[in-house]
Amino acid sequence: MSKGVQVAGGATIVALLLAWYALANLETGASFSYYKSLAEFQAAQQTETGKPVRVHGYVSLGSIERDVAAREVRFTVQNAPPHKASADAGPAMPVIFASLETPDLFKDGAEVVLEGRLRGGSPPAFVADKLLAKCPSKFEGQGPATADGGARG
Amino acid sequence: MAELGAACIRFALLIAIAGFGVAIHAGLSRRPDWTRVAERSVLVVAVSVAIAIATLFTAFATGDFRLSYVAAHSALSMATPYRLAALWGGQAGSLLLWLFILCMYSSACVLANREKNRGLMAWVVAVLLANALFFLVLLTFVTDPFETFPPERAMSDGAGLNPLLQHPVMMIHPLMLYTGLVGFAVPFAFAFAALISGQLGSTWFQTTRRWTLFPWLFLSIGIMLGGRWAYEVLGWGGYWAWDPVENASFMPWLPATAYLHSVMIQEKRDMLKTWNLLLIGLTYTLCLFGTFLTRSGIVQSVHAFAQTPIFTSVFLGYVAFTAIAFLTALLARRRGLRSPQRLESVVSREAGFLLNNWVFIAILMVVFTGTLFPVFSESIGERTVLGPKYFQMLAGPLALVLLLLTGVGPLIAWRRATAASLRRQFRWPAVATLATAAGVVALVRSQLTPYALGAWSLGGFVTATIVQEYVRAIRSRVRHGETPLQALFALWRKSQQRYGGYIVHLGAVLVLMGATGSVLNEERLENVKPGAEIRMHNLRFDYLTANALPAQHYGGAVARLALYRDDQPLAVMTPEKRMYWLEQQPASIPSVYSTLQEDVYVVLTAIEKDGSATFKIYRNPLVNWIWIGGAVFVFGTLLVMWPHPTRSPARRA
Repeated sequence: MSKGVQVAGGATIVALLLAWYALANLETGASFSYYKSLAEFQAAQQTETGKPVRVHGYVSLGSIERDVAAREVRFTVQNAPPHKASADAGPAMPVIFASLETPDLFKDGAEVVLEGRLRGGSPPAFVADKLLAKCPSKFEGQGPATADGGARG
Repeated sequence: MAELGAACIRFALLIAIAGFGVAIHAGLSRRPDWTRVAERSVLVVAVSVAIAIATLFTAFATGDFRLSYVAAHSALSMATPYRLAALWGGQAGSLLLWLFILCMYSSACVLANREKNRGLMAWVVAVLLANALFFLVLLTFVTDPFETFPPERAMSDGAGLNPLLQHPVMMIHPLMLYTGLVGFAVPFAFAFAALISGQLGSTWFQTTRRWTLFPWLFLSIGIMLGGRWAYEVLGWGGYWAWDPVENASFMPWLPATAYLHSVMIQEKRDMLKTWNLLLIGLTYTLCLFGTFLTRSGIVQSVHAFAQTPIFTSVFLGYVAFTAIAFLTALLARRRGLRSPQRLESVVSREAGFLLNNWVFIAILMVVFTGTLFPVFSESIGERTVLGPKYFQMLAGPLALVLLLLTGVGPLIAWRRATAASLRRQFRWPAVATLATAAGVVALVRSQLTPYALGAWSLGGFVTATIVQEYVRAIRSRVRHGETPLQALFALWRKSQQRYGGYIVHLGAVLVLMGATGSVLNEERLENVKPGAEIRMHNLRFDYLTANALPAQHYGGAVARLALYRDDQPLAVMTPEKRMYWLEQQPASIPSVYSTLQEDVYVVLTAIEKDGSATFKIYRNPLVNWIWIGGAVFVFGTLLVMWPHPTRSPARRA
């Protein structure tokens, strides 16, 4: 057996071990998350209750309510930016963010991505355990500024 | 003024087209006089682009808001340094900066090779000018930084710059990063020129070694500064989030680092020629691709395609063209690249280097897949994002393999290692590894993960091998009558690549060990009234007051907390919550108390309506070692690069 084959064999074993390790861990779903717009999410609401999802929407004007005693922030999200009169905002969805730690860019009208799950009941509320707010679009070509990510120029 | 800048770009475009044609002609006809003409056109393009960028700087400094780019990225209220730095705050300006740095590199390359590499230079110039041409076309026809508003829409003030970018680090970080990314154009041009001209001997990589080390150093500094900026500004307690923009700068660093290692096998054993060329091609392609990623917004959404179809398709086309042209040339020359040497043993330094290369490429594949996964998945169905956990899970173990190789590599012989030599080399490092592991287990106990134990023990192992190498070399020189200090400097001068390289390794080990401290991170969210205290671990925070910030172009509040450890007063921490009026954007500025052991990092999340304040507090062990390791890394790279005029380049090994 040539040395080249030995080295290649060794590398293959290492690669297989890694692939196995990756698949075993990824299957738990810890790293995957799906990304839906609010409209898509609302359309599939019945089937989505209780499942972990990422939903994208806009904070309704004047809806943010910080409840220090309950250690949560409540607000509603809608389908289109509130300052755009023409766009169809659609039915708003109430959100409970179970923390007081809101990112800097989280404010009225902000574009947000919520990570969490829908809690049944009436009206159903979305319980978010992660909240990401995006840069306003005037800063072209920049990434989302998030509670746990970066806005870069 | 704006007209002057625009005219310079168009003039440079014409000269670059002419110069490119001349360079191709010079290369085909092998006429040295035409090569000189092509080289001069590089200098003319460079001067012209320098005037253009100076014009844009002037427009920013004087607040010339007739230019829509200036109006969109600066405002009169900003301090002058930030107004100047706003030049690279957007797409058009940063592409102009790219082009300017490329022109500086190209000119330096032409001037440094007036007497050398004459057979290659025509093609080197052709490749460099082709790259400049692309950016000139982009700046002329697609994204023009000198575009002006019609007079009736003239503005008296601009929209300002994203407040998060108004930070000292942000003034130099993009410069460092671009000096790194763009600099790989030179080794790429030499590799390409070697392929086109068929001069595949050792000239091209001997010439380009230093031209590779230089941008590599700046890319490394740029990546570190990016982390530092994130830590000081973004207020989430961390420095690296596997964000697409961060990954874009990290991806070219990986094959570049692999290349710096594998090129040594080519030097010593005349092997891996094709592989080295591939790595250089890959590095430069990823530099372009990274620029594209950060400047197009493609990772945020594939809809960026729809929003800027010309920019994305032109840029992607260029990246693809570069890669395909290079690969075609490589395939055409594959016969000439065959090596007469074979790998003799799997227990040899060559095999170690080869494995090192594969691990770097594996990490690259992990990062590449993870970064582009949202794009892939969105184009075939549901948009899916892979979080930081994916990267840590896969890159973490690979980093451990690299760490192991970093220690093992220098200890095993070239060609074939013997059992006796292995025993002699590994005895003390093995003891050091076990001692570190025992120490870590005793100190950390419950929070210890297998990864952290591995990282710290292997860190101890690598450090021990480096110390052993230094001690042995210094001892043998001391036996010949030198003092230890003389011996140390002699090593750094005479075997700069080897002993400087060890210092680079030491820096990388410190960075990795510091980053591993994150497994011990603690964080807490607390809501308190003035006068109340927060306890965390052996730390105590007394929340004293909150005051309004003196009004300037931002306002807001600053909180004061007295920090105690075991009831010993340490510092007063002053996290701020700012509001930038013009940009209508809040920003939390964290306050950090930093020691070698740990960082205490406090963010003022909000001043609540009832007068209480919400704080996010982080305890981040060992973070400082990342910056210390970075400094050691830079020092080591400088040792490797430092020119020693007494030694002839041919003997450098």
